[in-house]
Amino acid sequence: MRKGVLEFCILSIIRQGEVYPSDIVEKMRSANLHTLEGTLYPLLTRLKNAGLLTYRWVESNSGPPRKYFVMTESGLEFYGELERTWNELADAVKALTAPQQENKTTE
Amino acid sequence: MKKVININFQGRVIPIEESAYDVLKQYIESLRRYFANEEGRDEIINDIEGRIGELFGEVLKKGSTCVTDDDVNAVIASMGRPEDFDDDEAKVQSQLGANTSSSTGSGSQSSSSTSGSSNSDHTHAPHGRFYRDENHKVVAGVCAGIANYFNIDPLVVRILFVIFAFGFGFGFITYLVLWVAVPSTASTVIGSAKKRLFRDPDNKLIAGVCSGLSQYFGVNVWIPRILFLIPFISIVFRWHNWGAFDFPNFLSFSFSPGTLLVYIILWLIFPEAQTTAEKLEMKGERVDLNSIKNTIQQDMGGFKERAEKFGKEVHEKAQEFGKDFGSRTKQFGSEAGTIARRGGSGVGYVIGLMVKIFVYFVLGCVLFAIVVGLFSAGIALTGLLPLKTYLINDGWQNIFAWGTLLLFIWVPVVGIITWIIRRVAKMRSNARTIRFAFVSLWLLGLFCFVGLIASVRQDFRYHNDIAEQQIELQNPSVNKLTLQSERERWYYSHNFLHFEPFARVDDDTVFVNNFRLRVLKSADNNFHVIVAKMADGSSKKEANETASKINYSITQKDSTLTLDKGIKITPSDKFRNQVVYITIQVPVGKRIEIGNNIGWYDHFDINFGWDNDWRYREDFFDGATNWESNVEYRMKNDGHLERVDGRRDNDERTDEDNSNSKPETQPSTGTQSDTTGTYHYKTPGSAPAKQAPPAKNPVKNKKDSLPAKQAKAEVRFTLPTAFIERFSI
Repeated sequence: MRKGVLEFCILSIIRQGEVYPSDIVEKMRSANLHTLEGTLYPLLTRLKNAGLLTYRWVESNSGPPRKYFVMTESGLEFYGELERTWNELADAVKALTAPQQENKTTE
Repeated sequence: MKKVININFQGRVIPIEESAYDVLKQYIESLRRYFANEEGRDEIINDIEGRIGELFGEVLKKGSTCVTDDDVNAVIASMGRPEDFDDDEAKVQSQLGANTSSSTGSGSQSSSSTSGSSNSDHTHAPHGRFYRDENHKVVAGVCAGIANYFNIDPLVVRILFVIFAFGFGFGFITYLVLWVAVPSTASTVIGSAKKRLFRDPDNKLIAGVCSGLSQYFGVNVWIPRILFLIPFISIVFRWHNWGAFDFPNFLSFSFSPGTLLVYIILWLIFPEAQTTAEKLEMKGERVDLNSIKNTIQQDMGGFKERAEKFGKEVHEKAQEFGKDFGSRTKQFGSEAGTIARRGGSGVGYVIGLMVKIFVYFVLGCVLFAIVVGLFSAGIALTGLLPLKTYLINDGWQNIFAWGTLLLFIWVPVVGIITWIIRRVAKMRSNARTIRFAFVSLWLLGLFCFVGLIASVRQDFRYHNDIAEQQIELQNPSVNKLTLQSERERWYYSHNFLHFEPFARVDDDTVFVNNFRLRVLKSADNNFHVIVAKMADGSSKKEANETASKINYSITQKDSTLTLDKGIKITPSDKFRNQVVYITIQVPVGKRIEIGNNIGWYDHFDINFGWDNDWRYREDFFDGATNWESNVEYRMKNDGHLERVDGRRDNDERTDEDNSNSKPETQPSTGTQSDTTGTYHYKTPGSAPAKQAPPAKNPVKNKKDSLPAKQAKAEVRFTLPTAFIERFSI
């Protein structure tokens, strides 16, 4: 399940603008979602191969050129689906946990 | 000692220890194996290698000469081992965790943040409030934080700020305030490699304040030190007459006491980096086991050299920067970014540093002014201690006075000094207690002060009934009276305080020269001298008593009046605003000369008055005039004196036509004045025994015949020209 969520998160990040992998990791980290770069790279590559992302090279003077990833059309569609899935999941969980709390308070 | 080999890694030549190279090679092999079946395996591995290459690049820039075992291990840990990939478990990362926003990586991140990186609404501060975004900062993250909060591009905010700062000036101050007041996001991120401001105890000259600052901003340690010393000397020069007291001049030539205070304040504010973790935070390195180990083990020598070199370059660049802001910023930013050890623009740091110091300096100066003010007040009041007995009654007042002096004035001074010493000696014991003790003592002193003021005022509340005494002159119809004061046996004692009424302290008496001298027109042809003594007291009776005890004598010898120069005040009759008003009435046409030892600087206030509805105590200073000593003056009809030798006295007031505007003079004794017209003026050499002849011409004629003189209407004297008309009939 986490893997799906991970993709969802990555796509959300990329959706907001072009980023390069280290930036993605950093953003996730600051959102308290810790992930390894080694996990990230294959994932990005897979997404790119699936046509959901694309990238461009940007020269950097502090190292080798970097890949900046951007979302594609199909990526956006896929993202929409992911979002729907996520929301359904979240609603379901909320619905299940909420009544228990109400029961508790009335006791 | 290890062998170092050069490898061509991702198109760059990287020196690496041989053992480290082995580790690296193994890692990459494991990656290959792991991704053997992956589609796009080569690309993935290429990306990962690229990332590793970046990290190595950072390591080298940080100052290492080659990549070591530890570096490689760190990088691997950061990237993650294959077996860790795709782990469903959300690994709670310890400090050893995969922390790619590490020190080695932050440089490259931040230097690219000036490009249009995405606005992150995920970096919402925990409460959705306004934080500074230190991860995307150019100087302090203020603009980035604003951008985050409002969801606009940081660049827009920065441009706005620049416009405000340079267009309206106050933007700069706003930025400072925001910088200081708004906390930064990075501090809320756990385990981030945010730099914190510490004092650096390892590298300290006095207290490590400057070293800590230099670590934080990534500049050479001497830059803040010099900044502390140099720029403020000139400011202190200019500010050397602050406030109400005279800033002691010698201090303005010394090395900037203002910054000393700033330094002390920073000393107190910054914690000392004691544990290794704190030291790492101070330098902004990722705090984990590896870096801690590195810090302890590694020789920081190469590190320092690089920092110094960087410092020099930043210094030069900062100077150029001062001339040309806009276009160069980006250029410098990228250039400086490449040599920056820690993220962000070095130039921005220097600017930020200077600005921060300036703000602290302003605060420091204010505080310093308070301290110095209290200190000088304390000295002044202690110096005046002998005079206390003349003012203060025994009993409550005395206690209040002592209380005020000790507690109100000296306690804060002692307290502050103690505090400073304690900080220097790093004594931390009982800080609370001591502070509490000092504060409560001071409050007690405040209470004493209030009590003192109240009770002293009580003593001065009543004025005595004024009784005028007429002093009989032996030869009241003499033509000229000379005023002298007693030969100098007074001198001023420590009068740099310019404490007005006191002229001299002599064993158990104090001589006060509170005199007022008035010269008025006499109603008749005689000179009169009228003395009025005044004093205050806590009741009318007491005031009267005190007044009657005033011992002021005027002696006459021939046509010279000798006045006492001081009122004697003894401890038994306290100082109660004793004043002696001397009125000398001069008949019209007669002359008066003021000797030169009643100079105006001796606090004789001489009023050549013309308005006789003048009340004691209140009107006096209205009439204070300019006059010269050793010059003869002659009384005129309208009550003014004119110089006999015909020259003008210095008088800045505008001329008015006196004879038209001034009322006829009335002596305060209530006798009628002459309202008749002309009087005749005597030339100096003419026979003295002339009386003022009765009026022969109407006033109008006189006016006509003296147009030149009258035209120059003066407020004080008639200011005759060199061609004063003296005519006699």
